[in-house]
Amino acid sequence: MRENFKELWRFRELLFAMVERELRIRYKNSSLGFLWSLLNPLVTVAVMWFVFRFLLGNQTDNYSAYILAAYLPFMFFNMSLMDSAQSVIASLPVVKKVYFPREILPLSAVIANFIHLCLALVVFFVFLFAVWATTGFQVAPFTWKIAYLPLLLIPYLALVTGLALLISAYNVFYEDVKYILSVALYLLFFVTPIMYFSETVYYALKNRPNGQLIYTLYHLNPVSMMSTAFRKALVPPGKIEVIDNGVSTMIGPRPFDYGLFAVTVVASFALLFYGYHTFNRMKWRFVERP
Amino acid sequence: MSKVAISVREIKKSFALSHSGAASLKTALLWWKKKRIEKLEVLRGVSFDVSHGECVALVGRNGAGKSTLLSLLSNIYKPTSGSIEIDGKIAPLLELGAGFHPDLTGLENILFNGMILGLTRKEVMERTPAIVDFAELHNHIDSPVRTYSSGMQARLGFAIAVHVDADILIVDEVLAVGDYAFEKKCYDYIADFRAKGGTILFVSHNPDSVRKVADRCIWLAAGEVKMDGLVEDVLTAYQAAGDER
Repeated sequence: MRENFKELWRFRELLFAMVERELRIRYKNSSLGFLWSLLNPLVTVAVMWFVFRFLLGNQTDNYSAYILAAYLPFMFFNMSLMDSAQSVIASLPVVKKVYFPREILPLSAVIANFIHLCLALVVFFVFLFAVWATTGFQVAPFTWKIAYLPLLLIPYLALVTGLALLISAYNVFYEDVKYILSVALYLLFFVTPIMYFSETVYYALKNRPNGQLIYTLYHLNPVSMMSTAFRKALVPPGKIEVIDNGVSTMIGPRPFDYGLFAVTVVASFALLFYGYHTFNRMKWRFVERP
Repeated sequence: MSKVAISVREIKKSFALSHSGAASLKTALLWWKKKRIEKLEVLRGVSFDVSHGECVALVGRNGAGKSTLLSLLSNIYKPTSGSIEIDGKIAPLLELGAGFHPDLTGLENILFNGMILGLTRKEVMERTPAIVDFAELHNHIDSPVRTYSSGMQARLGFAIAVHVDADILIVDEVLAVGDYAFEKKCYDYIADFRAKGGTILFVSHNPDSVRKVADRCIWLAAGEVKMDGLVEDVLTAYQAAGDER
């Protein structure tokens, strides 16, 4: 692994150039390129907000901010894996003709999406300030908890990178991996607190037999845990409307479960090592794919 | 620097041969018990040395293993067994303009391709004017590469490859591109490269170009070295074998 990492370090400039190329291609064809790519999450969140606030009548404060805080990281997860699944197989013609460390392909897809996430988060804060200004300067746009953001982004990047390396390698040999992936990502969206809250889940399970166990299992999904964590760090706490014992109640946010979060962090780094190891084991066979 | 630029010892390379073609989980699950993967032995123990400053041509019929050999030297495959030692910086020209992105401009592709071939960003920047001059693409360098003709793309690819300052060139039948003037420029460049002490290993099906540049010729047949020696001797034997069939 050390040898492989040294070789990757030697080619770091190529990696950066590749990231630059991905971003350039994405934002190229219009001067509003970056804004266009933000249109999808903004429209999605606007629709979700409309459905929950008006059609379902949910009274949660700052609902749109809560969705964005979970949806933007989820989009990074989603796009990184979809892009990297294709990254090696789409470049096979080049891979067959030129040598360079093959892990650069999925890594550049992940890093380009990560930079996109960072830019989107900047826009997210502009959004928070706009909400703050238009609602009479009541709820502060952010709290000191925002200092936790790097501590969330780093394990999340590790998680995505590990998965991206695994998926990109397996997709070379089994092209149905990407179809399974797109279904899995679609389903993941529903079992992750994005449209709703981990508090919603907590109160729904509270009085069930084994409710606590299911709640814990739910948060062993690293994307769920991260989604909750991003909300805690990014959105100032407001009142959330949940159904408790069949009665609609407004509650404050529940305390953050550091133990479960630690499990996610350890799992993320373990996955990064496993993914990198597996990719290196398989990468010389990419060109020999039968 | 030692005397030998490329040293190849008992190289063997086999590939898994697939009859189904489709790579899917379904096939893998259905056939997991029957592991009937056939091995195709492309190289069966090839050994030779190339000295510094030598220009060696590889000839042989289609499927003899020439391109596999060049790919092994370019670090694209790992050999099944045997060893390869290379002394010096190598520039593989297995395909001109491999890795060009159609939506990026010529200039952006120069940067990118130069870095794939192992240059740093700074080095590519310094060499960009010379590359553009060599490719004669001054008017088009800011246009996306998708607007280029295939000849223009090949010229740009060759121009980048020859500006990475390699000691050893590995060339796979890519010189038959571009018009007469550009071909002449390529041969002039190769003569110049050789005069500076560069080493070349190339594949060609054109006996004239072999006679023109090579000073040694290796005939590869069915994954083995059939003959290794003076250009005229090897070409005569190779052509005689071709006429017999």
